[in-house]
Amino acid sequence: MNKEMQDLVAWVIKATKSAGADHCKVNLDSNRSVEISYRDRRPENIKEASTKALNIEIYANGRFSLQSTSDLRKGALQDFIANAVAATKLLAEDPLRTLPDPTYYEGRAEVDLELVDPAYKSFSPEARHEMVKSLEKACLRQGGDKVVSVTAQEQDGAQESLQMTSNGFFGYAQGTTYSVFAEMTAKDEGDRRPNGYSYAVAVARKDLPGTEAIGIEAAQRTLAMLGAKKIKTETLPVIVENQNVGRIFGGLMAAMFGRSIQQKRSFLADKKGQPVASKHLTLIDDPFIKGGLGSRLFDGDGFSAKKRTMIEAGILKEFFIDWYYSRKLGVEPTSGSAANLVIPPGPRSVKEIMKDLGRGILITGFIGGNSNPTTGDTSIGISGQLFAKGEPVQAVAEMNIADNHLKFWNKLIEVANDPFLYSSRRFPSLVFENIVVSGL
Amino acid sequence: MTEMTRRSFLKTTAGVAAMGAAVPILSGGWPQLLAAEKPGYFEREFGISDALCRKVLAAALARGGDFADLYFEHTIGNWIILEDGQVNRAFSDVALGVGIRTVKGDQVGYGFTQELSEKSMLNAAAIAATIASGVRTKPAGKFSWLETKNYYPLEKLLTAVALEAKLPLVQKLNEKCFALSPLVVKVTANFHDQQKRILVVDSQGGKAEDLQPRDYLTALVVAEKDGRREQAGWNLGGRRDFSYFNQNAIDEIAAKAVHDALLLFDAVQPPAGEMPVVFAPGVTAILLHEAIGHGMEADFNRKKTSTYCTMIGKKVAEPFITIIDDGTIPNLLGSINFDDEGTPGQRTVLVENGILKSYMHDKISARFYKLKPTGNGRRESYQHYVQPRMRNTIMLAGAASAEDIIRGAQKGIYVQNVSNGQVNIGEGDFAFYVSQGRMIENGKLTATIKDINIMGNGPKMLQDITMVGNDLELHQGGTGACGKGGQSVPVGFGQPSCLVKSLTVGGVKS
Repeated sequence: MNKEMQDLVAWVIKATKSAGADHCKVNLDSNRSVEISYRDRRPENIKEASTKALNIEIYANGRFSLQSTSDLRKGALQDFIANAVAATKLLAEDPLRTLPDPTYYEGRAEVDLELVDPAYKSFSPEARHEMVKSLEKACLRQGGDKVVSVTAQEQDGAQESLQMTSNGFFGYAQGTTYSVFAEMTAKDEGDRRPNGYSYAVAVARKDLPGTEAIGIEAAQRTLAMLGAKKIKTETLPVIVENQNVGRIFGGLMAAMFGRSIQQKRSFLADKKGQPVASKHLTLIDDPFIKGGLGSRLFDGDGFSAKKRTMIEAGILKEFFIDWYYSRKLGVEPTSGSAANLVIPPGPRSVKEIMKDLGRGILITGFIGGNSNPTTGDTSIGISGQLFAKGEPVQAVAEMNIADNHLKFWNKLIEVANDPFLYSSRRFPSLVFENIVVSGL
Repeated sequence: MTEMTRRSFLKTTAGVAAMGAAVPILSGGWPQLLAAEKPGYFEREFGISDALCRKVLAAALARGGDFADLYFEHTIGNWIILEDGQVNRAFSDVALGVGIRTVKGDQVGYGFTQELSEKSMLNAAAIAATIASGVRTKPAGKFSWLETKNYYPLEKLLTAVALEAKLPLVQKLNEKCFALSPLVVKVTANFHDQQKRILVVDSQGGKAEDLQPRDYLTALVVAEKDGRREQAGWNLGGRRDFSYFNQNAIDEIAAKAVHDALLLFDAVQPPAGEMPVVFAPGVTAILLHEAIGHGMEADFNRKKTSTYCTMIGKKVAEPFITIIDDGTIPNLLGSINFDDEGTPGQRTVLVENGILKSYMHDKISARFYKLKPTGNGRRESYQHYVQPRMRNTIMLAGAASAEDIIRGAQKGIYVQNVSNGQVNIGEGDFAFYVSQGRMIENGKLTATIKDINIMGNGPKMLQDITMVGNDLELHQGGTGACGKGGQSVPVGFGQPSCLVKSLTVGGVKS
């Protein structure tokens, strides 16, 4: 653990209390990051930096504020804290806004989540450049004469985070991340230049797929969109590809938070214990996946992390409720944020499912769209592949689906066997029936 | 986290407070800032002298390069939030740092540091220098201040406005919303102010200093009727003096948010499919931003990844259509005295009488096209490198009346409020989310509609604008944030009423 960080945090707690706060929580994040991208077989951007960010939650006279700064000069910090505490006292009193009851800090799991790649320190600038070059090369080769432009990029970083409260919480976490990304723009008929991409993110370099595979996939995804057009409005089965599930799922999840419920902006507020989706949907929040991008031992409130089933066979079991809104709502808190979200995979591949569905659309991209958390109404643009008997027959774009989440998730008929592992949302592809896909 | 795609998006969610890691309240102001009206803020506060800048720039050019620049930033932002009738939370944030960029052709090396010490800056400069591999080039021996106009003069620094003066704004807004209807059950009201000080110093001898204010007042209202709930929000803001937020502003925000929430109780589901779409003036100009604006940013064209890359000088719209991107409109959110590489704020004509005249350039694309930069080089913060970005993107007024335009559509959709949008640059396909609108039947506005996505193709849509109204309205909001390449910058927009003869409406009935 970095002693300099620890000393600074301890000093800030002391300074905040000396300035008149009754309690405080201090968080110091330190981050080193490198980014390299290539285009036209040479570096396009090289970027590197180290940053620190200090956050201070101030509790004074029953009042609350949150301060953050990157100006860590002690003189500047002292003024900053004094001003902040004085200003906090001008706000309205809120007896519910306190640091959590320390009993929630207890019971922290003692496991190694394997969030640090031991090989990170030896990741050299040369190795980074080689990685991006090979990514670009594979994409260019696969794209062939259809390539207008290819960009390949890697980003990596090492993070440390230290969190302390004046009522006894102490938490430290560190991690590494690597991400690789390739995108291609292709020449199509007329002025259309379809763009497609592929990426992967992992805690350890060994858990990334080969750069070659990502480069090839980026090109394949782009080429698959050549000749895309909209077709007639039709009611069809659709498959939402694994890496795109998170975007549509976000509309359902937005209604699962304590604040949405307390502020009457949740269509799920009165649905706990009731079905909100078909029996095929189970959702687990699992903080303990080794090497998981959302894995953690404690959350933002300092609560010891717990694995929870949020939705079980379509029945809504839990909400995401932090300390403050648990007190406002008068309910037991869970956690104010998700760690790793998992939808358990089914037995069959997308390819097998497609064969059985007859005619349908495989959704490989969303565009625009939004979701109203108060009512559950949603509408979003799609692109992908029209398929028949398991084979793609036409790329489609500029089409749309619209529904209410409470109806939409009841149309889920199958979960595929392909969870996307390069995200904290480990979702497999999902299959829905009777979806109105609007186009011409 | 990697920005996974070059797709770009815009959000202008009125009233929705998305503040993951937000920021301060710093009451009473920081008196030391009041003396900072004269140029030289960073030298006075942080000891950034010309000699130090020259030394850092020399380090950034140690391996050659066309030019290098330094971008110093000191930003103070404050949020106050009213929920359940009380201002019981506040956030503030201070960002301080310098970004150092070395440019060679279209290649960029970038380092940044939060410590404004010589040692840290030289380290960051050494990282930036790695993009080049040739012989050292020398920075200019002398720097001269860029003189600019001021499109956002302030009577008082925002950091000097006391918290006590801000609290009544959200309290009155809350009271007003509840007073307007007994159906209102929840109100969230926020006030945000931000003061960004920047200093740009480049190796060619330019230096420019600015103070960019940004502020908004916003309400999000939930109403309940017969067990059903609806939400709507509105905001006003931009680069404004604090005095802008008076009773009139409060009344306008409350009236619009409450009116819109109540309207939605009568909303019906629109049909799905292709149909004529009429855009009301003002906030609906997200259409312009997505369908047209992004594709005219020069980096996409330089790389030939935009559908507009072969269209300069060609007819892209009917002759009654002129579209500009303008950084010089007083107090609009996208206005800038100079851009983030020191090019003066200006007005750029993108489409003139239907002909595509210009892209939006930063220094890199301007060199590529052998043109002058247009003042569109922008960045989110010192942690980000410059990209060509929009400022205030506006379609100028035409001749038609709004009634004629609605009549002209006969049967279709009337778009009144839009919350967000997105575009795929290469295909030109775009989408935007209509939070509220009306049906058009027999040339007249009928039932209210809500929560629909509308899609189209940018170049085709531009050709399909068949009527433009005489009622140009600039959106006076303060929350418009445009995302591109992982960076968010404030933008403005505006347009008159207009008719697009066909777009895909994502309704639910076929």
